[in-house]
Amino acid sequence: MTESSFTRRALIAGAGTAALAAPALAKLGGMIDLGLPGGPSLRPTTPAFPGKGAMIVQRIRPPLLESPMEVFREGIITPNDRMFVRWNWPFPTEVKAAEHRVAVGGAVKNAISLTLDDVAAAGEMVEVVAINQCAGNGRGLSEPRVTGTQWGNGAMGCAKWTGVRLKDVLAKAGVVEDAKRVRFAGLDVPLTDGAPQFIKSIPLEIAMRDDVLVAWGMNDEPLSILHGFPLRIVVPGWFSTYWVKMLSTIEVLTGEDESHYVAETYRFPAQPITPESKDFPTVPITAMPPRAFITSHSDGEMVALGKPLVLEGIAMGGDAALERVDLVGKGWEIPCDLGPDEGGPYAFRRWSVNLPQVAGDFADIGVRARNVNGAVQPEQLVWNPSGYARNVIERITLRAQ
Amino acid sequence: MMRRALLPALLLLLAACDSAPEIAFADASVTLPDDPVDLPDGPGRDAVLENCTACHSPSTMLQQPKVSREKWESIVGKMRKLYKAPVDDSAAAQVVDYMVAVQARPEATGLSP
Repeated sequence: MTESSFTRRALIAGAGTAALAAPALAKLGGMIDLGLPGGPSLRPTTPAFPGKGAMIVQRIRPPLLESPMEVFREGIITPNDRMFVRWNWPFPTEVKAAEHRVAVGGAVKNAISLTLDDVAAAGEMVEVVAINQCAGNGRGLSEPRVTGTQWGNGAMGCAKWTGVRLKDVLAKAGVVEDAKRVRFAGLDVPLTDGAPQFIKSIPLEIAMRDDVLVAWGMNDEPLSILHGFPLRIVVPGWFSTYWVKMLSTIEVLTGEDESHYVAETYRFPAQPITPESKDFPTVPITAMPPRAFITSHSDGEMVALGKPLVLEGIAMGGDAALERVDLVGKGWEIPCDLGPDEGGPYAFRRWSVNLPQVAGDFADIGVRARNVNGAVQPEQLVWNPSGYARNVIERITLRAQ
Repeated sequence: MMRRALLPALLLLLAACDSAPEIAFADASVTLPDDPVDLPDGPGRDAVLENCTACHSPSTMLQQPKVSREKWESIVGKMRKLYKAPVDDSAAAQVVDYMVAVQARPEATGLSP
């Protein structure tokens, strides 16, 4: 190789032919393997984002940060610095509190523009503990694989949200009688003219729930920019696609919402389909189904033969309280003990199970959650082309030695 | 019906404050990091840099699962049609070629041990 060939491009090209994505990413430092079938499965935990601890970096711009599963090993609350981050479009990196306004308009009696103080004074302050989970959480584990953000199972977290009721904010403007839906927009906007803004709507009866909030607090701290400062919508039990961040507009609709992110995406097949299915009817992704995870052990871990074993983890009921969790294997199941109900129906709840003696490998074991409405995690993945609402029983294998 | 059943639990959960909230909103800002990853060399790389990286970090592109040429054509088509990405026909073809080529290299799926 001549000296003149030591250009940056040549070095990249040289590296490229020998090894591509892997070394390019590996040079970033700490890597986490998400176990995505067929790969690429390794993700960096760098670069660091302000206010965040070690996170799986799924995308840098706009940020998509996933919580490593170790975050869920203790307690039911996800610390703010480990809560996942998801943005569809770029957002302002600076927001002046005194200048921010929330417009409340559409099918209302008096369209108004509210300051943050106006919003905070709209009603009594309310706290609710609720799981915030991306509709695409676990998408990367789909088989066959589907495109989109290749999340493992860490696009979820549970926090205490503080704010006022959305219905109290709506009351400031007065909702008209034939209102059907309430739509939200934030300060995040597309880079290209004409691209759809990330706006989302919920049915009026959901908007009027006592626990649906315009929130400014997350685990007793103000929302950070990455989590939607100054205000975000909180819809306990529903996927976080509706939890619009950097809230700037509340619009009351009298008809269906034909906007892109409601009418065309974030939708799920109305009936089970196969990867070959085309032109099937869809329904919006809304309420969350139950899920459970083993957090004390990871796939492939060794356990001591002949000794007792305690497995632990977290579970959620989704849009209804968790009822039970069972440890399931091939042809057997054992009920797990639920931890205290610390956060209410929309929070994580811990579970544990004591196994008196490890008699051999635990092949393909998992935990299965069921909620009080009878919804239970399925044995098989309900495959869909966008990888939404994954709640198949997650299985691991433990080796006895 | 389901909501009705949950209401008693909810009322307990919602800790309402007695007095008016004393919330002081302060300004907020954040400095976001740049993507340290460069795209590997290959035909079409410039087209990708010019047309895609404004919205998609290189690291994200390299993390996508391997899909067919038709799927990449459909994805690029969606970016143009739906998201109004100003990508001309020639550049779109180069972007598809590049992504297919990058994913065809054996190392591209070799990340998982």
